[in-house]
Amino acid sequence: MTNAAGNSLDGFFYPKSVAVIGTTDVEGSVPFDIFYNILKDRLNGIVYPVSPGKKHIAGVKTYKYVVDIEEPVDLAILVFPSAVCHMALEQCGKKGIKSVIIISAGFREVGQAGIEREAKIKAIAQKYGIRIIGPNCLGLINTDPESHLNASFARKMPAEGNIAFLSQSGALCTAVLDYAQGKHIGFSKFVSFGNKTDVSEIDLIYYLKDDPKTKVILLYLEEVTDGPGLMKAAEAAVREAGKPVLAIKSGRTSAGAAAAASHTGSLAGSDEICDAGFEQAGIIRCNTIEEMFNRAIALAYQPVPKNDRLAIITNAGGPGVLAADATVGSNVELARFTEKTQELFWKKLPRAGNQSNPVDVIGDARADRYEIAIEGALADDNVDGVAVILTPQSMTDIDDIALNICKVGEHNEKPIYTSFMGEMDVASGIDILERHKIPHYILPEDMVDSFAACCTFRKEMAHKLDAPVVFKDVDKAAAEKVLDEAAKAGRHHLPEADAEKILEAYRLPVIPRAVAKSAEEAAKAAAKIGFPVVLKVESDDIVHKSDIGGVVLNVADEKAASAAYETIMKNAKKAKPDAKVDGVLVAKMITGADEVILGLKQDTSFGPTIMFGLGGTFVEIFKDVSFRVAPIGSISAKEMVREVRAYKLLSGARGRTRRDVAAIEECLQRLSQLATDFPQIKELDINPLMVQDEGKGCHVADARIMI
Amino acid sequence: MADPQVVQRVKEVIARVLETDPDSIADDANFVFDLGASSMQSLSLVAAFEEEFGIEMEEDKALEVQSVADAADFIQGYLKK
Repeated sequence: MTNAAGNSLDGFFYPKSVAVIGTTDVEGSVPFDIFYNILKDRLNGIVYPVSPGKKHIAGVKTYKYVVDIEEPVDLAILVFPSAVCHMALEQCGKKGIKSVIIISAGFREVGQAGIEREAKIKAIAQKYGIRIIGPNCLGLINTDPESHLNASFARKMPAEGNIAFLSQSGALCTAVLDYAQGKHIGFSKFVSFGNKTDVSEIDLIYYLKDDPKTKVILLYLEEVTDGPGLMKAAEAAVREAGKPVLAIKSGRTSAGAAAAASHTGSLAGSDEICDAGFEQAGIIRCNTIEEMFNRAIALAYQPVPKNDRLAIITNAGGPGVLAADATVGSNVELARFTEKTQELFWKKLPRAGNQSNPVDVIGDARADRYEIAIEGALADDNVDGVAVILTPQSMTDIDDIALNICKVGEHNEKPIYTSFMGEMDVASGIDILERHKIPHYILPEDMVDSFAACCTFRKEMAHKLDAPVVFKDVDKAAAEKVLDEAAKAGRHHLPEADAEKILEAYRLPVIPRAVAKSAEEAAKAAAKIGFPVVLKVESDDIVHKSDIGGVVLNVADEKAASAAYETIMKNAKKAKPDAKVDGVLVAKMITGADEVILGLKQDTSFGPTIMFGLGGTFVEIFKDVSFRVAPIGSISAKEMVREVRAYKLLSGARGRTRRDVAAIEECLQRLSQLATDFPQIKELDINPLMVQDEGKGCHVADARIMI
Repeated sequence: MADPQVVQRVKEVIARVLETDPDSIADDANFVFDLGASSMQSLSLVAAFEEEFGIEMEEDKALEVQSVADAADFIQGYLKK
């Protein structure tokens, strides 16, 4: 198995010999526990303690230096203080060790001195071709019996399972291991990658994509350093290998958005862009550890539902309704049973209950009645998954019902999920379910959410590749020239005329216009463009032009154009006496069109990101916008337009005229190309883009570009 | 270069704290990497140097000193004051 760069990480996961460098004989210390965990958890290989000053540790002969070990060493684990890690790493290089885990803290996370130490170890690693996991991490665990490596200071080794967990936080790992053990959740691989000075979550996802022991990949991230790289790796796992990737990205901050200078900048906070990037790549984003594991066990233990139709079986009406309500909120469907199933339930289940979905087998139901309902629902062609709810009544044979579900679940091609509600009385039943890998949830809503996550994964897996179209008719050189000149002049905010030149170069349809320096010129320009026209003050120093009376709409003839020029100049001088005014822009006025906003923003993690929304209040108040990380293809462009709630206004709802949606989609793709061609464009707003009736196109009425 | 007598006394202190033979300690030996000093032993070394040489060292700076030769130089700086 190899990662994106073609480098195998097998040396980390399947070493035949491991050296723990800097270990000690102090029980309860990290250096000792790492060594002792490898020993007591029975690595399928040899472990060498390297410890200057000690002759033996836990009955095993020690070596002063790693280079003193005569046999080859596949993996080294450094547990020395950070100040001497470079010395140990240098020896690893000389010994020919290619995989090194640096557990030690005291690097990038502690400031300048740590940054320098990290740079030093990176240079040594490059010199010898060493791959590094860490520093500042908990280590890794591989439960595969072929290796059985517990190279961590976790309190215990988890059971073998088919879920891989990757975490940037080491401390979280130990809590997750404890949580998972309580729920009988096993792991295939468990990796704390810390400061990711070399091996990152991206390398690990590529590795796990091809790991036969891993079915589901879980990720805990505190920062996304290479958004496009992460998206590519996740896409490969989800869409090529059919493995779900679930992720928590902590730090939902809006601090970055607050400092933005454009509509797009203020709406596209880092978290919204992260959401968009994850969704594009097929990553299922989770908010909490519990939510992530709830979804993970559904994906890891059960087959993926073929469609979105869920049957609910319950012995209590209330929880059944809660689950049914949750299907609506989770975008899945309540299955409608076939006549055959309805007939079966009518005959075999109590009439006092409910024979349609959610099926109420009523409070006195025992295992036999549950079995009829579960098997009947599973056999129904209109059902894609079955959710079983149980509340403990005095006559409920909880353990027998649990065992029955396990028996049915073992051979079924459709998934089963359970919610045995309560705590003490249902505990043994839950234990049976969890040990048999039947997903269990305390709350029915969580059960439905997990079914919905499985449906999302199925759709993501089937998502078609969205290859971006490269428009050949763009004039990249012309746009580059304008941007270069602006950069040379030290401008951060391009004048409207320059912004339009750039958009025109990318064939984004700018409204016919001209800049007038006098009332006479304004009248002539208006006549040439054709009435009605709009006049607008042309000044870098006046950002919100309408607010100061700098815009006059619907100018119908030459005389009115001349008068509008004078009014605008007067207002500008009054409102901003120091502003440098370059004249008045005269532009064709588009009527009978809807206003939409298109934007782009360079994100520090994900790169260029495209935004779409309806103009005016929809953007300002409702924040009704969609995002995609560029480059985008036609599928994403279509999805972006349809994702906003206000799409119905464009699509001809309630007798409205259908607008030229295809023209918007083309503009989004052209904007995406512009964004990827010129990373120096920090933010861009096309606001508004005037969209006319279907087939009549759209026009850029105003644009702002920040570099 | 530190006075050879200071270097020898430094080695003897290290040997006492780390329970090793002073003759086995090289001049450029690193306390942690070569001699296996733990963080507690590093603190003990600072205290033992102060006692041996009758000086009071700045602890943060003293803990940054990593090798025998550097320790001898560092201590000699205090002896000259």
